[in-house]
Amino acid sequence: MSHDGSAREFLPLHPLEFRILMALARGPSYGTRIVEEIESREPGAKLYPANLFRRIRDLLARGVLEEATAPEGADPRRTYVRLTAMGRAVARAEAHRLRALVAEADAHELLQEG
Amino acid sequence: MPIYRLLLRLLPSRFHARFGPEMEDVLAYRLGRAGTRLGRAWVWLRALADIATHAALERVRPHGSRNDEREGSGMGTMGQDLRHALRGLGKSPLFTAMAVLTMALGIGASTATFSVVSTVLFKDLPYQEPDRLVAIWPGTNFNNAMVREALATSPALERASGISGWTLTLVGVGDPVEVRANRVSPDHFRVLGVQPALGRGFDDDEGVPGRSDVVVLSHAFWVRAFGADPSVLGRSIPLSGADDNSHNVIGVMPPDFRPVVGNPDVWIPMAPAAGASLEEDESWYVNHRVARLAPGATLAQADDQIRAFARLARERIPDILDEDDVAEAGVQPLGEYVARDMGPVLWVTLGAVSLVLLIACANVANLLLARGESKRAELAVRVALGAGRGRVVRMLLGESGSLALAGGAGGVLMSLGLVRMVVALAPADFPRIDEVGVGGSALLYAVVVTLASIAFAGLVPALRASGVDATASLGGAARGTSRRRGSRLTQTLVAAEVALAVVVTVGSGLMLRSLGRLVSVDEGIDTEGVVVFRTSPPDGRYPDGEAFQAYYRDVLDRVAALPGVRSVGAIHLLPGTQDNWSFPTFPQGYEIAEGTPPPSVNFRGIWPGYFETVGVALGKGRYLADSDNADAEKVVVVNQAFVDRYWPGEDPLGRTVRTFRADAVPYRVVGVVGNVRQHGLAAEPRPEMYFTQSQWGWKWAFWVVARMADAERPLAHAADLRQAVWSVDPDVPITGLEELATVFGRSAATTRFLATILTSFGVLALALGAVGVFGVTAYSVSRRIPEFGVRVALGSSRRGVLTTALGASLTPVVAGLVVGLSAAAVASGTLRTALFGIEPSDPVTYLGVGGLLLAVAILASLVPAIRASRVDPVTALRAE
Repeated sequence: MSHDGSAREFLPLHPLEFRILMALARGPSYGTRIVEEIESREPGAKLYPANLFRRIRDLLARGVLEEATAPEGADPRRTYVRLTAMGRAVARAEAHRLRALVAEADAHELLQEG
Repeated sequence: MPIYRLLLRLLPSRFHARFGPEMEDVLAYRLGRAGTRLGRAWVWLRALADIATHAALERVRPHGSRNDEREGSGMGTMGQDLRHALRGLGKSPLFTAMAVLTMALGIGASTATFSVVSTVLFKDLPYQEPDRLVAIWPGTNFNNAMVREALATSPALERASGISGWTLTLVGVGDPVEVRANRVSPDHFRVLGVQPALGRGFDDDEGVPGRSDVVVLSHAFWVRAFGADPSVLGRSIPLSGADDNSHNVIGVMPPDFRPVVGNPDVWIPMAPAAGASLEEDESWYVNHRVARLAPGATLAQADDQIRAFARLARERIPDILDEDDVAEAGVQPLGEYVARDMGPVLWVTLGAVSLVLLIACANVANLLLARGESKRAELAVRVALGAGRGRVVRMLLGESGSLALAGGAGGVLMSLGLVRMVVALAPADFPRIDEVGVGGSALLYAVVVTLASIAFAGLVPALRASGVDATASLGGAARGTSRRRGSRLTQTLVAAEVALAVVVTVGSGLMLRSLGRLVSVDEGIDTEGVVVFRTSPPDGRYPDGEAFQAYYRDVLDRVAALPGVRSVGAIHLLPGTQDNWSFPTFPQGYEIAEGTPPPSVNFRGIWPGYFETVGVALGKGRYLADSDNADAEKVVVVNQAFVDRYWPGEDPLGRTVRTFRADAVPYRVVGVVGNVRQHGLAAEPRPEMYFTQSQWGWKWAFWVVARMADAERPLAHAADLRQAVWSVDPDVPITGLEELATVFGRSAATTRFLATILTSFGVLALALGAVGVFGVTAYSVSRRIPEFGVRVALGSSRRGVLTTALGASLTPVVAGLVVGLSAAAVASGTLRTALFGIEPSDPVTYLGVGGLLLAVAILASLVPAIRASRVDPVTALRAE
């Protein structure tokens, strides 16, 4: 939990960055796989390369992600990335923030049908 | 993907080195999920926007900061920037109209050209698995046995079909008409993998004599001759000219079926004598061969096998195939074969139009640069208020982007019209021209070109203008270093425009000069006022040789008797076309080396009166006459090229010529005539022999040539001509009634077509270049008004100011001319095959183009320069 304080400095996260972090929650991954993961959870989302890799590059630079060793036999051109402990804390903090927002929306009766 | 790889270079090198390959993967994934062609085009559009935006942001703020997120690259701010850009453009309609029009011209012309190039060179042929189709040994004549043996000895070939163009006559269904036929091997439609829409194709046993009385109709002919009546299947139609006279209709091809060769009305099977060997088979009319590669076989294997076959064939028929033939043996992808030799020329055209597009982009870039300068104050305010550099770049990119998108849309619309024009202008035999349209790939091309234009025309000015220093600009000290840099950039752009315009204009100049040379070639005959038409008596109508002769005698007599006709004659192959017969010939005393075939010499059958009617010059001896008939001594007339080749420096009169065999009946030479451009204007005359029909005895269908009294309107008596022919026999069709000059004009059609296209590009390049020079001069003069004011105030003469202003604007023009002329000298080599009668380095063209461009540039800068010389010092200085 030592990261929680500094993690809040990253908030609010850009939606795409949050999605990248979620796509990495279950373990290391790489560009195209991340795109597939995000788009499978959110039909209609369409990611384009320059945008995606600039985000990844920034997240790496800020210590939210780190490079991971590629599995045996993987394409050597791929950069595998994974969450750092800080990254996990940032994702969690953003999730809490969003949950609080949603709760607030609910309190304003925005979530009720009709 | 190479395009994308190129675009990746817009990103900083460290970035694309690290992520480039993966970015390609992601784009491939994106494209893979796009589905339709339109979807893929949209993905490309988005991907390019993605790269352009992020490349700009990356250059401006390489290490993403928190503000970057706020400013966002989301569609929200982008939309805002776009709206801002549109508002800005709306405020200067003249600038906007000029920029959009320039872009639309460039993009429209290049999209139209790309449509033609991509269709002719790359579009899949409309056959099953077209990649597996090849042409066998192009350029050599085959007989049927040779097709059979080539297939049998080449395991890499699965099926093969010969194709031969024939003309048949259809009688008894309406007026007698000539019918264009492709005689093909029974396997023909199976080779192509296309089935008739109605009925069936040929069976294997329909390729033998006695069984070959079947015919497949083209859709167009079925509609034209039979009113699209499906009950025509199974009917027997009287088609003469092939081995059988009546043919059972067994099939009708689909409307969109495209023949491999020519534009046939019908297909009939070839029926060579059964079992004839390569040596015995006399069916030497199989001009084209198409084959399908066996599954898994490669082009290279087929090529090797056909070359091996060629060496064997040369050993077996050494007096027909020579070493040159063998050297040309091999297979060629059918797509290339169909495109003929248009490849290099089409690439040149696409290259030329790309240069025009670059000029257009440079023009718009210049306009934007000038505009960027004038917007400095506004931008400075924005920067002072805290707008990031990235945001400013995006705003400006939004401007060039909106311009290019509007230009792109206009260009696509324009290309629709242009393609129609090109198709209408193209010679009828231009390969695949009827398939050309603005299709998916052309639209994709337009999108890519548009985005590239945004990058080219917008990024440089945007990055420059965004480098504005708030305090300096607002403080009025804007005439500092950055302005000078801007003007240098502008001058470089103008020099580049001029250089590009020179290259394009030299290209069109060379084509125009070629066309001029071509149409002034001496045809060797006088085509003015001569009308030609062909009459072809159906087979069996005059089985007897004498009756056949009597028919033509009658036709010629009755035509000659018409009041509008001066003289008349006939020839069996019309000059100015690609039709040709040439036979092995043995000129007396001409040494033929052991083991080589005798020379093949052009052969023409005529009716006396032909030479006089079309005005072929008589060099020596006499023309052929009516007295040279079957009972008289066999005589021949040869052309000057024949004498120069076989009897140089000797007297040809009295010598003899034998044809086909060294021991054949000799024909004595009684005359030498001038060379006629038998194969069109561009082809050098070849050795040629003329025989009379009555002595040679074969029953050719003849082209009647008639010199009309009214040379201005030779076709005025066309109806009388038809009437005269039909008064002899109403069942003989008349075809191709036209002026001989028209026939020769067609042989220059491709050159004329290319000259037209390249000239329009040249004019466009010149106009755009002139606009560029004008714009830059006007702009630089306007900026230097205060300076000129000071000069005038200090006593400088108006003339001095005029010279200064002109000199300043002409410096980049001259630099551009020098670079452009040198570049043109290198690039024009690619035009060599399309040129006629001049070298690619033709000095007249280069001097002319250089002079023309200089004149245009002077004119374009004169108006603003005069304005500069009229400046009123008081006003000028007050403005300061």
